[in-house]
Amino acid sequence: MRIGIPRALLYYRYGRFWKRFLEELGGEVVLSRKTDEETLQTGLLYVPSEVCLPIKIVAGHLLQLKNDVEAVFFPRLNWLGDKLFACPKMIGIVDVARMLIGEKVKLIAPTINGNLFRAHFAAGLQINPNPLKVWSAWKKTKGELHRKPESVPRNFSGSNSKEMTYPSIALIGHFYNIGDEFISRAIVNTFKQNGYQIFSKEDLPDNILSRADGFSQNIRWVYERELFNAFEYFLGKVDGFCVVVSMGCGPDSLVAEFMRERAQDLGVPFLLLVIDEHTGEAGLVTRIEAFIELLRRRKKGRLN
Amino acid sequence: MRVTFPYFGYDTFALKGFLEDLGAEVVLPPPTSRRTVELGVKFSPELICMPFKITLGNFIEAIECGADTILMAAGARKCRFGYYHYLQEIALKGTGKKFKLVPVTQYSASDFIFRLMPSLFDVSPLRVSRAVYLLLAKSALTRDFRRLLNRKRALNFASAERLIKPALNVITAARSLSEIKRAHQTLKLMFNLNGGKPPLRVGLVGEIFFTIDQFANQEIEKKLGQLGVEVIFERCLYHHLRHLLRVDFGYLRSRRLAYYYLQECPGGEAIRTVGEAAWFIRQGVDGIVHVFPFTCMPENIAFEALQRLCEQSGVPLLSLSFDEHTSPTGLVTRLEAFVELLRRRKRGRRFFGN
Repeated sequence: MRIGIPRALLYYRYGRFWKRFLEELGGEVVLSRKTDEETLQTGLLYVPSEVCLPIKIVAGHLLQLKNDVEAVFFPRLNWLGDKLFACPKMIGIVDVARMLIGEKVKLIAPTINGNLFRAHFAAGLQINPNPLKVWSAWKKTKGELHRKPESVPRNFSGSNSKEMTYPSIALIGHFYNIGDEFISRAIVNTFKQNGYQIFSKEDLPDNILSRADGFSQNIRWVYERELFNAFEYFLGKVDGFCVVVSMGCGPDSLVAEFMRERAQDLGVPFLLLVIDEHTGEAGLVTRIEAFIELLRRRKKGRLN
Repeated sequence: MRVTFPYFGYDTFALKGFLEDLGAEVVLPPPTSRRTVELGVKFSPELICMPFKITLGNFIEAIECGADTILMAAGARKCRFGYYHYLQEIALKGTGKKFKLVPVTQYSASDFIFRLMPSLFDVSPLRVSRAVYLLLAKSALTRDFRRLLNRKRALNFASAERLIKPALNVITAARSLSEIKRAHQTLKLMFNLNGGKPPLRVGLVGEIFFTIDQFANQEIEKKLGQLGVEVIFERCLYHHLRHLLRVDFGYLRSRRLAYYYLQECPGGEAIRTVGEAAWFIRQGVDGIVHVFPFTCMPENIAFEALQRLCEQSGVPLLSLSFDEHTSPTGLVTRLEAFVELLRRRKRGRRFFGN
């Protein structure tokens, strides 16, 4: 069976695992093309104009896959861990996907209700009816779940080094935004070219990301809590924060505000970039360069 | 202690009565106006949804009027609504006023009746339960009033508008169960519909605040009424309260009808929006009007489902998203065009048999 995985949203977290898991089950995995202008433009036609950029992109990916696969693998993340919800759009997009790909293509969309195994087992049975086979495929591939995806922007010096010789920046944003080169390329490149070391939340271990102390215990969205914890962790460890929010992202509009509030209290440089399909690369670069200039002057002022 | 809470359409009076039953002194903010919204926008984050801005503006104005305790509902935290009060507290501190914000967590009726209200107003849980019962009865009265008003507007707009004030007086004056029962009769006599039926009916669905609060939805019911269209609705405080008390059977129906389009609840009222629209279509409405705040997450998913639903059943859909920049004139133009479409569609049907 030719099974398509859209290269968007949760792919940037579980993509590697999914690919191996499905291959282990005997499926032929087809990944959609990396996001480009065409993907976005197709997506724009089929979803309401108010939703956030990643949703528009995922619609594009789904429509692209629709024509050359028999099934699309697109799990629905409902909640994880301690009843931490995914964002409403991520829950609902699966229903939209069902309408987008039509009746001919099968949609394999297990619902993840806190338990990754149960969801994937159910999905595996739809591909390979032999439960033993599914079980062994899960056993073999579940190690991939904890490996960080390749798509995180890597640094020239390896970001795990404890010594920070380079000036550093924390790039706070969802993995599906930061991981997607189409969205984050301009941002990452500008920082790199100016000699900045980039840290993102994917660099942090799970126990820091899922911490539930302080304000983050009030946040009941699974990935927003990660963002906020990453922000708290990086406070005082990096020179500045760059928060990437997609226009129309509900959870981010709140959590970014909490972060801004906190950064303002502590006097930490904070750049909020709101992106959508109309964001020009040049505009982003200008803003980032201005921000970098600010960071440099600040540092110089401190030294004097 | 002077208590306040945000405006909630005509149901404001029911809620006010509820708090007064508990012996609280209620300070209502002045009715929502342009100034309210401007104040709210000034202290809100840029990308947040509209209900946040309006309620924040209400709070600022209420504090100006001398309120010191703010009651704010809090949701299930799938949708942004559950986090409003954290951010509102921060924003209100920025204005430099003294106040206490009490988040009223929904989805736990026992906690509300046995812990929160008794500790806040120093009353017995029995009294709270009685007040909740009265609130239910009163919100049912408000719902009936809205239904009568919408029908009357479509039949005779001028006299309907004249009746609003005396009708509201009847509603606020009803304080006990028997009085509420009598008020039902009084309202029916007042509106004197004589079984008249307006030519066109549309179903109003969408986000709860925007379907209920007339300021937020820019009096869409009135505007449609003026065009001779009756607006039927199901979303109101009464049903919401029943939902919170777990005795809402309409929700089960909505779930069933919406299952084809939405299998999992994406939070907020998406399932209800789709389910109610499907129900209205079964009842034979001529069109569906969907209202929601700009960038509302669940409603955007519901919008996608509604489009599909309306396409399959051949009923026209008008989806309106509101924010503080929505112009009333633009809204009227769109509504007029929509109503014209409905009218022609109906006429065509009569001539050509389909």
